[in-house]
Formats: sequence, C-alpha cells, structure tokens
Amino acid sequence: MKFHWFNLMPWPYLPDDFTEKHRSVWVDVDSRLFDARKANRIYNDYLDLLELAEDVGYDGLGINEHHQNAYGLMPSPQLMAATLARRTHRAAILLLGQSLALYDPPTRVAEEMAMIDCISGGRLISGFPVGSSMDDNYACGVNPATLREQYHEAHDLIMRAWRDPDVFAWNGKHYKLRYVNLWPRPLQTPPPIWIPGGGSLETWDFCAAHKYNYSYLSFSGYIRGAQLMEGFWQRMEELGSDFNPYQAAFAQQICVAETDAEAQRLYEKHARYFFSRCLHVYPGFADAPGYRTEPTLRAGLASQMAGQSSALNQAAALSWREMIDKGYIVAGSPDSVAEQIEKVVDSLKIGHLVCLLHFGDMPNDLCRYSTEMFANKVIPQMRSKWKGHVDHWSPKPMPLEDRAEPRTVTPFARAGKDNAAKRVAAEVK
Amino acid sequence: MNLATVNVGAARRSVHYYRRGQGQPLLYLHHMLGLVGFEPALAKLAESFDVIAPYAPGWGPAKDDLTDVDPGPLDLTLHNIDVLNALGIHSAHVVGISIGAWMAAELAAIAPQRVDSLVLVNPLGLWLDDVGGADPFAQHPGMPSQVLFSQPDMRKQFLFDGRDKMDAHVEELLNLRASAKFLWPIPDTGVARRLPRIEAPTLIATSEHDVVVPAAYGPAWRDAIAGSRLTTIPNAGHLAELEQPDAFANLVRDFIRNHAMPAVA
Repeated sequence: MKFHWFNLMPWPYLPDDFTEKHRSVWVDVDSRLFDARKANRIYNDYLDLLELAEDVGYDGLGINEHHQNAYGLMPSPQLMAATLARRTHRAAILLLGQSLALYDPPTRVAEEMAMIDCISGGRLISGFPVGSSMDDNYACGVNPATLREQYHEAHDLIMRAWRDPDVFAWNGKHYKLRYVNLWPRPLQTPPPIWIPGGGSLETWDFCAAHKYNYSYLSFSGYIRGAQLMEGFWQRMEELGSDFNPYQAAFAQQICVAETDAEAQRLYEKHARYFFSRCLHVYPGFADAPGYRTEPTLRAGLASQMAGQSSALNQAAALSWREMIDKGYIVAGSPDSVAEQIEKVVDSLKIGHLVCLLHFGDMPNDLCRYSTEMFANKVIPQMRSKWKGHVDHWSPKPMPLEDRAEPRTVTPFARAGKDNAAKRVAAEVK
Repeated sequence: MNLATVNVGAARRSVHYYRRGQGQPLLYLHHMLGLVGFEPALAKLAESFDVIAPYAPGWGPAKDDLTDVDPGPLDLTLHNIDVLNALGIHSAHVVGISIGAWMAAELAAIAPQRVDSLVLVNPLGLWLDDVGGADPFAQHPGMPSQVLFSQPDMRKQFLFDGRDKMDAHVEELLNLRASAKFLWPIPDTGVARRLPRIEAPTLIATSEHDVVVPAAYGPAWRDAIAGSRLTTIPNAGHLAELEQPDAFANLVRDFIRNHAMPAVA
C-alpha cells in the first residue's frame, strides 16, 4: 500500500462572510482578497510541508493544477514539481495536474515532464486529467464542445513524442507540427500515467485501454466514492483487465490527533473552512454545455432525480460527527484513523491513497503534527496491505547511488584549498 | 407535423426538416435550442410562405453531426447552401433567430444570390465590450436555458410540457453544447467583417427583454448592413418566436411583403 501527501494549496485568508458576500471561490473570485506579501509566506510554508512529507516517509508528493481558484494556488504544477525535483531525493513527484487541452502545443507538457524526470532522476508520475470545467472552459477559454477531442489528441501526441526517437510530423485536427523532436527526453519512457477523474464514464475505458492508473479525486469522501469505484472495477472486469489495486488511487481528507476529541478540537474549524468557503463555487461554472458526454450527463441526471445532490459544498452543513460518519473526513486518534483508513482501502480496493492532510486554513505546525502522526502511527499498520500485487504505477527512478544530488558550490574566492579549486588554479597557470 | 429528411452535399449528410405552406420559399434558421416541433410562429408563416425549417448540424436529431462541422462560418454556410440545393431552391427569404441569425447573416454575405431577403432576430455574432450580455453558457446546470426566457416558468412550459423529463433536459444541454461550439467563449464570430457584403433587404429585430443579446446590439447590426431597418419585439426574451409567435410572424411577413417582394400587378 502506498501513501502520498497532497494539498491543494488553499488561500487561508478568505473572510468569515465569504460565502454571503461572494458568489464563487473559483473563476470570478474577487482578486482583491489576494495578498502577494502573504503569498510569499504561504507558498514557502506549503513547499516546506511537501518536503517534510518526504522526510517522514510518504511515498509521493502530490501537486495539481487549478486556475483562478482561491482553494488552489497552483496554476502551474510544473513549477512546484521543479522545486521538489531539486529539494527532495526519494519520494515520487506525483503531478496530478496538467489538463492537456490547456497546452498548445502539447509538446510543451512532454518537454517539461522530461525536464522534471531528468532533474529528479526518474521520480515523476505524470497525471493527465481532462481538467474541470471551471479551469478548462471558464478560466482558460477552451471550447467545451471540442475539449475532449483536444485532450485525446494532445495525449496521443505527447505519448508519441516520448516514445518515438525519430523526427515526425503531426498533422492532427487541433495541433499541427511539422517537426516533432523531443529534446530533452524523459528518463522513464514513459513515466507512469495517472488519470485523475471526477466520475466521467469514458475515462474508465481510457484507463483500461492504456493500462493507466485511475485517480478518483472527489471531496465527498470514501463512502460516496465506494459506489463510483465499484463501477470502475466492474467496468475494468468487463473490459478484461486483471484486478490490481495499484491501478486506482483515491484522495481523502485525513487528520490525526492523540484522541478523537482532540481531533475535533484541533481540526473541525479548518475542515469547515474547506467545506464551506473553499467549495463555494457558483453552479453556473460547474458544467459548461458539452463538458460532459451524453452518457455521463444521463447518469448524472439519473442520480440527481434519485435525490443525490451534486453540489460541491454539501458537507458544509454537517456536524463533525456526520462529516466522519459520511466519510467526508477521516479523523481521530491513530487507531480510529487506522480503522477508518482500512475501510477506505477495502471498500475502494485502492493501492494508492492520496492523503489530503492539509485542508482549508490549517496552520503549518498543526498540519506537521497530523502529517507526522499519520506517518508514524497509521501508515505502519497498513503498509503490508495488497502485498501480493505488483505496483506498476509508481516511478522507476535511477538507482540511488547513480543519481545526482544537488551540490553546494562554493565560489572559488571562498573555496580555499578545495581540490577542484586547486585543479583549476593549476590549469590556469 | 412530422420531420422530413433529405441527404445533402457530397457527404450526403442527413438533414431533418419541417416544410409546410405555399408561396415563395422561406428558410428559417433556428435559435440555440433548436426547434420545438413545427412551432406556432412557423405555422403562422406557412399561411403566406413555403416554410422550410431544418435542424442545423449538431442540434436535435442531428446531434452527432456536430463533430463534422468546424467552428467558424464556412462549414455551416456551405451546409445551408447544400440544403437549398438539395431542395431545389435557388433563392429564399431567410429568417434567423439567435445563433440562427448569425448563420443567416453569413449565408447572405457569402452567397448573396441565394438570399432574397433577410430577417435577423436577436442576432448573436457581434460583441461590444460596453454592452456585453448575459453568458448563456454559465448558467445553473439544473435550468441552463432559463436565461433565454423572459419569465422563469417559460422554460418548463416550452421545453418540458408533455415530454420525458430526462430526454428534454439532455436535448436542452446538447443543443447548448452545439451553440457553444460556435460561440465559445465570447459570441464574436468575426461576422462583422463580412456584413458589408450583404445585398438583400434586411430587417434587424431585437427583443425588449433579451438579456443575452441586449437591444443595444440592434444599432450595431443596422449600421453594419447598408439599408437595413431596425425594430423591436415587445414582451419577449431571447426566444422571441416562442414567446410572441404572432408578433414574430407578422413582423417577418410584413417586412417581406413591403420590402422584398416585387410589386405585382
């Protein structure tokens, strides 16, 4: 079983009356609520937490892509990946972002991922989501009627650019490139591909056809997620794909304290900040016409007609107990969290858990506490889960002893008697 | 009244259309939500004209044809020329509303010899920063086309009455998807550059309560098409032919009679 540390990098200073005074946290969020001086601290705090996560034993460091969004400060996950590639040494760089239709030419993605893979010594997991309607259609202007066509063409182009050693011409419907010739090239050919999805049925067939990992990213927790993942596994079986839990990942909000009561005292307000303010999205930005295919539309309408709400912020009105009972959040003492995590893993049959250990406006030190407690007291109880299965969806980096580490380079003027300085000095004479 | 079909163009694309009435041919190009059957406004026009109302590629029964047409004016305009050819019509009075008015203007600009007269009601295709307009594609997914009507209950009345709820809602969303393909993210289709080519006698009409194409767009269209006239339709939203079928039909009929028919002895 693998555990990845992930946060959305939310803006933690949304005012108390945010949901009354503003219609959306996303797309047309009031930019006057942003403060670049505060962002200087926040970005560094969040990156510190990602680096700490490697230190305390998480398998991967998760980052993703959102635009014009006050709960996600990462319009460019590639920039985050770049700094992690230098500042971390062992963990996978789990780049869940990169909505492919937003990159023109898409070979830009192939190039940047190749750079990250080379710098990190082959630690990259490349996530290829279609992306949300808010990001793709409303914030970035991609036509919803052609979004999926563009996505699939971009995917095919990137995969060929990674694999084909020869110069080739790409005469696509949406992209035309006379000379495709990737330079640099990734260490892993290709890196493991994860497809983050929110429940589009056609994504499952895509994962089965290409043997990609399906990552269900939902904020509604594992109990509602179980129904969807059941559908995923059923579809995989129908398509003749052998069951392997590592082919699926799930994102879950988690917080740990000494006792259950302590967890509520420490984390409830931050969970509420997330579920009410961060998920306060204007419904008119949720689903541009054409974003969903007809089968997915029909399935969604059927569940709405059966009374299931599709609102993002439906957990906002729940009590702390209900948030836990309904699975929106996994919280409590290490043992009670371990018990809940076992339910998550068993009910979803997943080999990768993407742990949202930071959410909402949780302060850094508190998140550190929860992150370490989970790593030290919960993960060890779950490590041997799925022992008989082989994980084909984690990176295959260069052997540690062959891998370059960042060095501290001292200027010659201060280097004194260091050997390299002496050698160069001898050559100069 | 039943839909007829005809195969058009080199690809023999199947076109679903209504046709009724006698007189000079009148080609009706529908709005963002397609056709709601052979609508009362069309029935009224059929008292004076040979009315032809086809579904555009991407709408209604032609939903799967959307991938075969590129955004931009060329494919849609060639398609409409193919429709006229397939029906053996050399030229017609062309009436368009909403996105259909954009298609009608393109047809009149690109193939002026095929258009005897032109009526553009609540036309999309121009964008004025100072006027803007409500975004028809950023609406609550539970009632995505509400913004097109002047009264909230009209959406249900016109689109859902007597129909399977799921089918009606899916068709509504797919029709909006087709519209989005040509109008995303801002309904500026570049038609402004082609409007001076229009030769047909032209009437522009805007609805009093249209928030998607506010009445302030009317003068911009009138000024771009030489000799065109401008009028308003009271008590109607964007889908004027549904809300005010009589006023809509009378306006079209009177304009054609007074300005686009040769005086007969």
